[in-house]
Amino acid sequence: MRNTSDLIDALVDAAGPVQRLRPPLLRAVLWLALAAIVLALLCVAQGVRTDIFMRLQQPMFVVSMIGALATAILAAMASFKLSLPGSSRWWLLLPLPALAVWVSTIGYGCLTNWVRMDPEGIRVGEAARCFATLLLTSVPLSLAKLVMLRHAALLRPTTVAAIGGLAIAAMTSFALSLIHDLDATIMILLWNLGTAAVIAGLAGIFGRPTLAWVAARVMPALPPELSGH
Amino acid sequence: MPSCSQENPPYPSAPRLMLVTSTAPDSTRISNGQSDWSALMAKAQDGDRDAYRSLLRQVEPYVRSIAARCFNLPADAEDVVQDVLLTVHAIRNTYDPRRPFGPWLVAIANRRIIDRLRRHTRQKAREIELSAEHETFAEAPANLDSTISAELALVGAIDKLPPDQRDAVRMLKLNEMSLKEASKASGRSIVALKVATHRAIKNLRHLLKGEPS
Repeated sequence: MRNTSDLIDALVDAAGPVQRLRPPLLRAVLWLALAAIVLALLCVAQGVRTDIFMRLQQPMFVVSMIGALATAILAAMASFKLSLPGSSRWWLLLPLPALAVWVSTIGYGCLTNWVRMDPEGIRVGEAARCFATLLLTSVPLSLAKLVMLRHAALLRPTTVAAIGGLAIAAMTSFALSLIHDLDATIMILLWNLGTAAVIAGLAGIFGRPTLAWVAARVMPALPPELSGH
Repeated sequence: MPSCSQENPPYPSAPRLMLVTSTAPDSTRISNGQSDWSALMAKAQDGDRDAYRSLLRQVEPYVRSIAARCFNLPADAEDVVQDVLLTVHAIRNTYDPRRPFGPWLVAIANRRIIDRLRRHTRQKAREIELSAEHETFAEAPANLDSTISAELALVGAIDKLPPDQRDAVRMLKLNEMSLKEASKASGRSIVALKVATHRAIKNLRHLLKGEPS
């Protein structure tokens, strides 16, 4: 075992000036700005759904969209806050009210038979385009989040990855609802809740190793002779 | 939080930080005589190595006191101290000087202690500590089990055989050479080797039973 005072000497020798992280809420805003850019580009490339103005007249659709967006914003804020040492675990609860609203609007639609469960409710052709939107939204946002939250690999990786995954999932769901004509079909459930569950679940399972992998490559903060410690 | 066995809560709240006596120069002290770790860390972030060294040296005993409450072996506590120092170094950019240093440090220490306790639990599940029965003795034969004793006895018995029998056994039985190979290597006929081996085994049987050959 290395002597602790030798370790301190080695760390001091390796220490240079570091740039302090910006406040977590500002970093959340930066990530949300990236999400806005991604969404705007997608809307330009794929086009907003044709019946958007009609749908915006329907309270349920508006509440669902606002719920998804609010979940994304609050979960992003919570993930950046939770990634810092010493932050309270209560930040985990921040996105829950919005999440409840978002999930309940979809669930309510299902309950009142608003969602068609018959075969006509599923359109395969649309599914492929939905999948493209899903990847184009979630992949860049996930990569950005992994890099921005890399220091959480040493603290609470699973929690931060799961809440970050929720933010990405909600933002992806918002993009899907904005771009694709999926209403009144079982596709809403499949795409919105299904993708949200898959993204948040994957983030929870693979968050720890992935954050550690990114941290080791993007954040070689330790001197090389100590990295094998 | 890890469940350490001591009566006191394993992680002191931030005010306990004030109990640590400072050896820092006057410039790093605040009016009540306590070291201002927050100011030291802010300087360290700006590249002041002396401040950084001073901070790490002051933090070290404090972290050790936290770790000692969770681990019985001093070596384990020392490993945690080093893990915490490495983590502090790796993520020192996450510290905001406007916020107190204590909770930041204690959160890192908590995480490293939890990690090590988990590692201990995993090790306990698949490793066994050596007990008194596994002790070794100064006398070499006392540490040998019966299999090794038998092997040693056989090797000793082979050494006592006449040279031609000894060579035959070594080549044909120990080195697992064929009769042709052994014949070629020794220059003796196959029949002679067979006879020598037969006699050697007979002699070994007597030697190992303690009978005269």
